[in-house]
Amino acid sequence: MSMLVGDGLTHRFGSEPAIDNVDLVLDTGEHMAVLGDNGAGKTTLLRILATALRPTSGKLTIAGLDAFRERRRIRHYLGYVAHAPGLYPALSARENLEFFCDLQDVDRSRVAEAMETVGLASVSHRRAAELSRGMQQRLAIGRAILHDPRLLILDEPDASLGADAADLLAGLMRGRTAVLATHDHALANRLCPRTLVLRHGRSLGTATHLRVVR
Amino acid sequence: MSPLRVALAVARKDLRSEWRTREVVPALAQFIILALLIGNFGFQIDSRNATSIAPGILWLALVFAGLVAFGRTFAAEREQASLEAMLMTPASPVAIFAGKAAAASLLLIVCEAVMLPALSLFFGTPFSAQVVAAVLIATVGMAALGCLFAAIVARVRARELLLPLLTLPLWIPFIVAGGQAVQSAMGLPGSYSESISLLIDFDILFLVLTSLAARFVLDE
Amino acid sequence: MNRYERAAVGAVALMLIAGAAIFFYAPTDYLQGPVQRIFYLHVSSAIAAFGCFAVVLVGGVIYLRNESPAADRFARAGALVGVLFTTVTLVMGMLWAKTVWGAFWVWDARLTSTLVLWIIYAGYLLVRRLADPGRQAARLAAVVGIFGFIDVPVVHFSVTWWRTQHPGPVIINDALPPQMLATFLFTMACTVALAAVMIASRYRIETLVDEREQVFEPAKVLVAREPGGVAGPVQ
Repeated sequence: MSMLVGDGLTHRFGSEPAIDNVDLVLDTGEHMAVLGDNGAGKTTLLRILATALRPTSGKLTIAGLDAFRERRRIRHYLGYVAHAPGLYPALSARENLEFFCDLQDVDRSRVAEAMETVGLASVSHRRAAELSRGMQQRLAIGRAILHDPRLLILDEPDASLGADAADLLAGLMRGRTAVLATHDHALANRLCPRTLVLRHGRSLGTATHLRVVR
Repeated sequence: MSPLRVALAVARKDLRSEWRTREVVPALAQFIILALLIGNFGFQIDSRNATSIAPGILWLALVFAGLVAFGRTFAAEREQASLEAMLMTPASPVAIFAGKAAAASLLLIVCEAVMLPALSLFFGTPFSAQVVAAVLIATVGMAALGCLFAAIVARVRARELLLPLLTLPLWIPFIVAGGQAVQSAMGLPGSYSESISLLIDFDILFLVLTSLAARFVLDE
Repeated sequence: MNRYERAAVGAVALMLIAGAAIFFYAPTDYLQGPVQRIFYLHVSSAIAAFGCFAVVLVGGVIYLRNESPAADRFARAGALVGVLFTTVTLVMGMLWAKTVWGAFWVWDARLTSTLVLWIIYAGYLLVRRLADPGRQAARLAAVVGIFGFIDVPVVHFSVTWWRTQHPGPVIINDALPPQMLATFLFTMACTVALAAVMIASRYRIETLVDEREQVFEPAKVLVAREPGGVAGPVQ
């Protein structure tokens, strides 16, 4: 059963397409990596998959629902880690997550769990502005799993994470359908059986166990 | 979560952030005091013309402070990323908007609490509950409009230029009625009760319109 | 000559006839003298402008409801033509005011709200230009256009009300003699026709621009492609 079907996804900023006619299919429980250089369109594609951005043309179906029309429903079980953490700097790590628990209509006990999972339990009282980039990234990841989403969209989460990134992400993605954008080919290969490669907004196709020869 | 509780949570979060960083209120308060000072030099105010000029200075200062206060509710890049995170939750965009607008109005109201006594102090104009009421009622409608247009220009280039251009025409009715209310409260001819009921009418009209428009502006 | 050019020639011809009527058919006003003739075009332009902004309003509302690119193009066209006619109204009004009242500008309800109208829709055009082209520009501009249209009568009302608190000079409107009335109605009809032709031409231009830049999804039949999976119901 397909969790995610993208058909001819195109997005233009002005007249230049950031992504051009991308097709993809993701089955439930599958993990897919999106690879590509800077400017290839990874972030745009992921924003579209996360329903944060509506493509100029093309159709996206998530769990059988039209991603745009039913985006409120879909967001109940979608977790998105964006490129920028989007945290509130003056609030503590815990307060940030508690706020989002309230918005997600999820019990606040989830905050402690999420903090444990991303390894931030010891700094929960510290203000988000005082956290390192890597910790902020972890906090953003923690926020994305508060509501126990079935589908995870992760935009370069490993960028500041450090050595245990692979383990952390593997744990997060277990049991969930996931799309992961990254520069790190080794990480992509380790975590995701399938890979989609973007170049200049176009998909070069998806493959299993892609090895990019340079 | 019910829209009201969402709005309260968002407002509380914004106010808590401001309380901890204390960025906006001191800057606005300083600005307002400066505006009063400059008004004094610009207008050659003496005890005779103070009552006719002071309301104008009040609204001038209020308008510019309002543009700053409401402009920044949606302005910062950081803010945009966090806004997106909020919109990704099931919370209603209108409730999020209402929470942010409420928080921004509260910040402006704190500055008004500084400005109105200062106005009385510097210009010798009467400081009464009527003046306060007029300013508060006008602030509600101005906040709704200001925040909506701040949200519109946040996505657009040249936003500092565009926000006053779009917002001021919509604020004119508030300035006209509010100016009249303050003038009559300070003893000049004119009907206070008529001005206030007009202000309330404008508040209702624009609150309804902004809540209808908010979801088109915030969400994709 | 394509049909747009023919329509344009027709509209201009009508305006020339109206101009002839204004100068040769309508009698000179007893009180104001020849400068009163500005009135015909001035008021006609104002009415045409309001008509244009009504198009912007309707286009905006329709766009927000069902995202029709055509509605957005009409709104864009209406705003541009409307701002043009508002500018004409303001300039002619100022010329008339200087001659008759001795001042280029007076802060009465009508002038103030016309100026506000101009500012609002100039803002509309700026928002369109500065926002991300396509859906976002259309949506944000639609909201601006709708609020703008509602604001103008509110401003007019506020200033009128304020004037009653502070009575000022009253502008007396005489009843129009039949020849003047006829000239005015004819001029108004010609001006509205001109505005309609301009909007239609502008709509066509916007359509071509949209197609070239493909800012909206081109109307297409959805091709049923099965890229490899079958979408099923939510579990």
